[in-house]
Amino acid sequence: MADTIRFRIRRQDHPDSGPYWQEFAIPYRREHNVVSALLAIRENPVTIDGERVAPPVWDSNCMEEVCGSCSLRVNGRARQACSALVDTLEQPIVLEPMLTFPVVRDLLVDRSAMFDNLRRVKAWIDIDGSWDIHTGAPRISPQEWDLNYALSRCMTCGCCMDACPHFGLDRDFIGPAPLAQVLLMNSHPTGKYSRADRLHAIMSDGGLTDCSSAQNCVRVCPKHVPLTAAIGKLGRQTTAQLLRDIFGG
Amino acid sequence: MQNPHFLLRRVHSLVGLVPVGAFLLFHLWENSKSRFGQEHYNTYVVEKIQNLNYVWFLEVFLIALPILFHGVYGMVVFWRGKQNVTHYGYFRNWMWLAQRISGVGVLLFLLMHVIGTRILAIWNEAVRQDMFSHMKNVLSEPYFLVPYLIGLVLTTFHFCNGLWSASIVWGLATTPRAQKIIQVASGVAFVVITAVGIHGMLGFFLAS
Repeated sequence: MADTIRFRIRRQDHPDSGPYWQEFAIPYRREHNVVSALLAIRENPVTIDGERVAPPVWDSNCMEEVCGSCSLRVNGRARQACSALVDTLEQPIVLEPMLTFPVVRDLLVDRSAMFDNLRRVKAWIDIDGSWDIHTGAPRISPQEWDLNYALSRCMTCGCCMDACPHFGLDRDFIGPAPLAQVLLMNSHPTGKYSRADRLHAIMSDGGLTDCSSAQNCVRVCPKHVPLTAAIGKLGRQTTAQLLRDIFGG
Repeated sequence: MQNPHFLLRRVHSLVGLVPVGAFLLFHLWENSKSRFGQEHYNTYVVEKIQNLNYVWFLEVFLIALPILFHGVYGMVVFWRGKQNVTHYGYFRNWMWLAQRISGVGVLLFLLMHVIGTRILAIWNEAVRQDMFSHMKNVLSEPYFLVPYLIGLVLTTFHFCNGLWSASIVWGLATTPRAQKIIQVASGVAFVVITAVGIHGMLGFFLAS
């Protein structure tokens, strides 16, 4: 068996049609990753039963784990297909789309919920003027910068959302990644001014309180974004905001 | 104006700590006095509490209603989650599932426990006068002893694991290190509180 690489892939032809499974085997080559193996399958899309089929559809781009587009479930776990090295995986390698998002076709999902939810939490910074405001660049302490940089590594791949027991098609939860961006935007010197707006956005339906700390998000994040630390800090910020809302200040 | 969705969940968390969690500690501590024997227990534990000023008010507003709210809203939270431990078998994910299962278990246990003690005592004079003997009889029956033991462990687990998640919810523990420390502390608390509870159950048999 060592001279082939076997795959079991969940297929779905249409967003509304049912799934089915197909198995493929490609000749063994050292240092294949899941994307390069999918490319090899596409060259010769014949199942192990000898049937010639339409090649599986997937999404990918950068091939260096920075764009976040090739997220899929490899052996049940959401991760980046490009950095999933075949030599480290148990075979047959089971590929599924991230089913907490709507499936477009085969392994390709519609991750627009990620961007919609970033909008929901106002994860942007209002510009402080299109003219020269005659002030220097804002100063940020190295400690704060350290955390901000870790948060800014998020590439909206959606792995954390797939692993979260509270995120899903039929549920309202914003999800871990957009929550972490609230903390990043709140700590920006200009972004600070919209802090209360963002906190109120996550103190509403589907907001921070829908998290119950299963903490899968931080375990699957390919960029090691400190998601659970962010959720804890947002817990503190929302507690303080709640007190400000009730008692003023 | 606060969003009710946010407030309900935070009140759910707060109520689990105080008064429900605080009452659990008080309850197990008081019951550990069973080791002093029938007379002491009936006089200085049961009667003393029954003679508290406005005890019915405390029972309804500090115990019954908070537990009812925590339980009912807990079921809402329960249905909002979808377990995935088969895909993600991490420790904290298992604890997430255990928190939900124990919550349902505690509700079933409380139904049995409250009917069999407090509610039974309303019309049963003998039970009201001698709760010690009643509990001793109940716990002598394996059909009750086993559910009581399981119910106790589920309750203390649910409380201690809830302490951990509440520390994140309210923003006390923010760093992974702080969350780890609270995880260890709540584990120790689980062992100690469960021991106090079992000690209280044993007291009915070992009392002189």
